[in-house]
Amino acid sequence: MTDLQAVGVITGWGEGVEALPADAARAAGSRSLLAIERPRLDGERFRRATRECLLGVAAVRALLEGTGQRPADIAGDGTGLLYVTAAGYGASNRAFVEASTAGTLHFPYTAPSAVPAEVAIEFGLTGAYVIFVGGATATIEALAHAGRLVQRGECERVLVLSVETFAECEDLHARGRWLLGRPLVEAAACALVVHGEGRLAIGDTTSESSALTAEARRRAGETLACEPLIALALGLESGDDRLHVTGDWRGRRLAAEWASPRPARTERRS
Amino acid sequence: MTREALRVDPVAIVAAGAVTPIGAHLDAFWSGLVEGRDGISTIERFRVDDLRVGRAGEIKRVTLASGDSAPECRATLLLRAAADDLLRRSPLAADPARIAVVVGTALGGVEQLERALDKAGRPSHAAAALYDSPGRALARHLGSRGPELTVSTACASGATALGVGADLLRDDRADLVVAGGYDVLCRFVMRGFDALRSLTRERVRPFDRRRSGLLLGEGAALVLMAREADARGPRLGRLLGHASTSDGAHIAAPHPEGRGLLAAVRGALGQAGLEARDVDFVSAHGTGTALNDRIETTVLKAALGPRAGQIPVNSIKGGLGHTMGAAATLEAIMCLLAARDGIVPPTLGYEEADPACDLDYVPGSARRLRPRVSLSTSLGFGGCNAALVLEGAPA
Repeated sequence: MTDLQAVGVITGWGEGVEALPADAARAAGSRSLLAIERPRLDGERFRRATRECLLGVAAVRALLEGTGQRPADIAGDGTGLLYVTAAGYGASNRAFVEASTAGTLHFPYTAPSAVPAEVAIEFGLTGAYVIFVGGATATIEALAHAGRLVQRGECERVLVLSVETFAECEDLHARGRWLLGRPLVEAAACALVVHGEGRLAIGDTTSESSALTAEARRRAGETLACEPLIALALGLESGDDRLHVTGDWRGRRLAAEWASPRPARTERRS
Repeated sequence: MTREALRVDPVAIVAAGAVTPIGAHLDAFWSGLVEGRDGISTIERFRVDDLRVGRAGEIKRVTLASGDSAPECRATLLLRAAADDLLRRSPLAADPARIAVVVGTALGGVEQLERALDKAGRPSHAAAALYDSPGRALARHLGSRGPELTVSTACASGATALGVGADLLRDDRADLVVAGGYDVLCRFVMRGFDALRSLTRERVRPFDRRRSGLLLGEGAALVLMAREADARGPRLGRLLGHASTSDGAHIAAPHPEGRGLLAAVRGALGQAGLEARDVDFVSAHGTGTALNDRIETTVLKAALGPRAGQIPVNSIKGGLGHTMGAAATLEAIMCLLAARDGIVPPTLGYEEADPACDLDYVPGSARRLRPRVSLSTSLGFGGCNAALVLEGAPA
């Protein structure tokens, strides 16, 4: 039995789901991409970190601020970290390919594991650790994995983190056919899954996108792997007792049904 | 505090398939390991004249099942070759909707990104550059319609994929899981490791006093897994436990005391419901770098206690190179074949003892030994660690 305690969200529209417009396509106007500026985080350690790494750290900070928790509350081996991205490694990979000389310090940042690594270092997370690569279906799989880690007692809590950036590879995304909608909206989102009374069920579905997912897409735009987390944040915001989200990626659709996730316990950021 | 996982149900490993620098199918891989075959050569598929080191475990020829045309993406090609090898040994006898595919990779389709950015690049190259594209192509090739996952815990990916795949069976999300790992040699990764100066100009010597770095390799390895109760006929063995953990210490280097790896080993043993005294054999990550091999030795001594010196530990990277995403799956398969045939491959390149690496590294030639329970350890960029506990099928 698992609860969804909170979801921290940062998008090209601003921080939190309250920053999302009613209609992303209309709000974007002629803009095809809503980027997020490189977060200004203190510390020499972050000087070489990529923008997507900093977005991962910022999403966890937003989550903690929203729940009134301190970093020390999640440090240690009791916290699992599951990272999901469809394309968040694109910028660093491209920069490395196009660089005239291969940088010693740059290469490790080309790995998808660079983002969760910076998050794990920043918050002292030494528990279970898996990196899923894919779109919204991978996020649903990560939520399922979070549930099993908590249920089996391997973790007290699990962060399901997703970061998607597009700005550095917008031309490549324009060539691809895998995107589901426009505008492209950069996002970083982090869900906190804990032991509780809620029931999380995952499965294939052939039905249409859930209402929450459709709302997330309509209001946020295309956020790839972040979309299910934004949908969950919207569900928590509205106080729903049953959160039904779907995830689409490259012709597949998965659904997650979260009964009694106890949103009443969630302290929302005002 | 070390958190011991609750015991989980073992999962049957029914069959395996592989394509490697020392053999283009499972039997050739296994005989190559036992005989101490060296698969390291000068890279021929792309230019290396501007690199410090241009040698690696390159697969010179890949053969697919008759009638199949080779895909342009080499990662997809290697996965398909490993899948064909697997299918020759065991058909996928299940509803396609109940067959899952879980693959691990450090690099995905990154070689296709190089093509996509080229002036002659096609739109399809951009899609193929996504790290989950080769896994998706594998699922199509197999005709599976169940869960389809790509995990990327860097060079520990091939272990994480087996662990996540086993969980899909335990959760009844699938009846069969094809799981494993792959990675290919390409300019991208060769430039990266060359810049890090991690590559040796000598031979790879895991745990040896003179070890001076790693060499890369390429390959793909897959296993077919099923729930114990559903597995029919002969099998290779069982996956008893898995854990993937984070160091939370450094973006590239392992934790200096191997904190995350130790937690992974203990977590995997906890899942297996076993203790250190139950381990008969260790397949180490053993890259041949000064740091990795010392840290891994420290971790194994801490995890296995006073018996550590009596438990054989090998590394197969001396002959294969470090095959990245494929490495941990190949090593898991090696553990099961060692149990089947009662023989443990040697650590190729290990000759002179290092006081900092003072375990039994199976020097020289293969050793007659039938390990029932094996531990396999892996590490990767981003503070990734993974451990598997495997049990060979009874002889």
